This record gives sequence, structure tokens and C-alpha cells, in this order.
Amino acid sequence: MVSERFASRWDTLVFVTCVGLALTVRALPENAQEAVASAVRRTLLVPFLAVEQQTTRLRAAYANAERFLAERDSAALRAIGAETLAEENARLRDLLDLRAELPPEPIAAEVLREATPTRGLTVILSKGALAGVRPLSPIVTPSGLLGVVRSVDPGRSVGVLWTHPDFRVGAMTPDGAIFGLVRPGGGGPNTMAMLLTGVPYRDSIRTGTRVYTSGFGGVYPRGILIGTVLGVVGEQEGVARTYVVRAAAHPGSVSHVIILVTRARDVGTAYGLGHPE
Amino acid sequence: MSRRGAGVRRAGVLLLLALLHFGLRPWLGDGRAAPDFLLLALLVYAIGARPGAAAIAGFLVGLLSDALRPVAFGSAMLAYAVVGYLAAWGKAVFFAENPVVAAAFFFAGVVVRDLLVLVWGGGASGMGLLVQLGVWTPLQGLTTAIVGLAVLYVFQRWLQLRLAG
Repeated sequence: MVSERFASRWDTLVFVTCVGLALTVRALPENAQEAVASAVRRTLLVPFLAVEQQTTRLRAAYANAERFLAERDSAALRAIGAETLAEENARLRDLLDLRAELPPEPIAAEVLREATPTRGLTVILSKGALAGVRPLSPIVTPSGLLGVVRSVDPGRSVGVLWTHPDFRVGAMTPDGAIFGLVRPGGGGPNTMAMLLTGVPYRDSIRTGTRVYTSGFGGVYPRGILIGTVLGVVGEQEGVARTYVVRAAAHPGSVSHVIILVTRARDVGTAYGLGHPE
Repeated sequence: MSRRGAGVRRAGVLLLLALLHFGLRPWLGDGRAAPDFLLLALLVYAIGARPGAAAIAGFLVGLLSDALRPVAFGSAMLAYAVVGYLAAWGKAVFFAENPVVAAAFFFAGVVVRDLLVLVWGGGASGMGLLVQLGVWTPLQGLTTAIVGLAVLYVFQRWLQLRLAG
């Protein structure tokens, strides 16, 4: 135990310097902040993240083995039917003279967790650029959409979850008739609510309707489950309605995710058109 | 016990806590109520350190935390530096090597950290903020305090403490 009591002038000076540094870092541009964070993840944190990754993998093997087997069996059953559908789809695209669609490449990754209170807003994923992960790749779970990759290190990547205030995704109803924009419902990582905004006033969505990604914007492929509509939460008279949506994927219950790396990023590339000069 | 030997043992305890943070927490599920071993390591360090050194240690722990959770980058650095400084300063004022006071010390560390990260860094508001500060923060504070007491009891000789009881 130290014998000195209270803080000396030196202690106070060091403390003020630390606070000043923290304030300076907070004020840095986002690119500079990400560069610092990435450097720390690639150096100081490497051994600790390796320990966490192995532990997460081990825990998943023990805790979720039966669930993984059940999910694999269900997926295998669905795949039997999907093969026929894929063939039919290819024939139809051929008839319409459309170029073959490039499906997103799935990359499985573990979710590494943190202990601070805003942990539910971002995640560290165990795969990075070396595995082919790119920024703006969607992160999904078997339940539905979880988020999007924000930055990529060689061996890890950082994902922004749907709870993050900056998260937005184009959404549609299952029949593709009604479109809107989904954003977090506010309140931070402890809520499961999203908001479906910008739904035209003339359209009405029934409670219990599922909402999927619309594919607009080019980041999220069309057809990933986002959540289920719980009801109307607000409206601009005669213009648009806002619905509250219960998210399909809960950030707190996820230990493994699939990162979808899409090779075709925009309509021009997908349809084989060159970019304008 | 030589000064150097004591330093090595203290560093060993801190390293063990850091390894537990990354090696044990994934076993604790969601983890919102799970003990924060990194914060605990900082507080244990602060018990035997000067406020300035504890502030630097807090700043470094905050840097690691911010790198892992890049929301409002810098907010954890500030929060942990403040917690480290206050812990070392407060320990000098009232830390009586009493188990109840020590538990309250660890609990308060979690509360102050969460308050600063959430209020200064944002990321939660309204009901979400209330749920975090009213439910998850106290729960995490409680589990951290329990583990902290266990660490102090088990390693009190290495940490050169004499806990009553």
C-alpha cells in the first residue's frame, strides 16, 4: 500500500493530462479514431482477442452443439427445395436475358464481446480482410439481419449493429408492395424495437407482418428478415406512417454470425454494364 | 517480501484478471451482468498506486476498451482515467481494508464508469438509459464487487492487504 495520502500536484497534473488527451481523441475525425483503434487491435489486443476467440468457439461447441445440428438439418431440408427453385430461377433469368446474379459469399465469424454499457451497439468479429471481409458487408444470423461491417483489420472486423444510432436499412413487406426505411427505435442496446419510417400514408401494414430488406442502396441483399411489425407508432397526417418493429435478431443472444460479402455492389455491375466515364 | 517480488506478484494478479476478462466472460452468456474483470484489475491496481499512476492505467484500459467498442471513441479513456484517479484518491481517504467498504468501492467503480461512458459518450437514451443504469449497471456492479472481494481475499498477501473478517 502506498503511504502517501491524497493526490500531489504531480498526480493532479497527470490526471488533467489524461483527461485532456481523452477529450482530444474524442474530437478527432472518425478516420483518425478508427486508425488508432485498429492499431491497438492489431498490436496490444492480439493475444487477448485470440484467447477470447478460442473461448467463444469452445463455449459455442459445448452450449450450442444440439442447436447447430438442428439448424443444419433444417438448412439441409430447405436446400433440397432450394435447388429446384435455383434452377427455375436461372431458366427464367435466361428467358429474360438477364445476367446470372452473383450471390453473396457467406463468411462465418465469432462475435467477441466487451463489458462496457454500450457493448450492444458494435461488435468485434473474428474474421477480417484476410478472410475476404469488406466494409459494408451485411452481418446476418439465422434469425435475421444483425448489422453491417464498418471497418476491417487483417484478422478482425468491426460491425455496427442495428441498435447503433447511425444504422439504416431499406425495408419492404413480404409481397414487395410497401417500402420504408428501418432505423433503431432509440434507447440504445437494451431495446429490441426498430422503427419503420416513411411508409406512404395510403398504405397500411398489419400487425404481425414481417419486414425484409428491400435491396435498395446496394448494401443489403434483398429478402433478409429484419423484424415483425408491432403497430403504428406515429404518422404525418396524409403523408407517411411510422411503425414499430420488433427486431428478428437480438444482439445479446448472438455468438456466431454470417458476414455476406457481395461481389456485385451496384446495379451497373450486377447487370454487366460499365461505369460511365 | 522484496519490493520487486511484490510488484511481480501484483502484476501477476492483474494479468490473471485481464485473461479472465477475455477467457471467462464468453462463458457468461450475454454478459451484461457479468463482472468486468478489466475494471476490477484497474481498481485493484489503484488500491496500491498513486492517483496519477492510476489515472494513466485507467487511460490505457480505456484505450483498449475504446478499441474494442468504437462507439464515441475516447469516452472510455476519459471514464476509466477518472475512475482510476478517483479510486486511488478515494482509497487514500477512506479505504479501510474493510470488506463492505471494499465491495462498495468496486460497485462504485462500475457505476461511475457506466455513468461517464453513457452520459458523455451517448449510445443510450430514454428508457434504454434508465434500464441500463437502473438494472444492468447495479447488477454488474454487484457481481464485480463479489468477484473483487474474492480476489482480495485470495490474493491479499500478494497485494499486501489485510482484509478484516
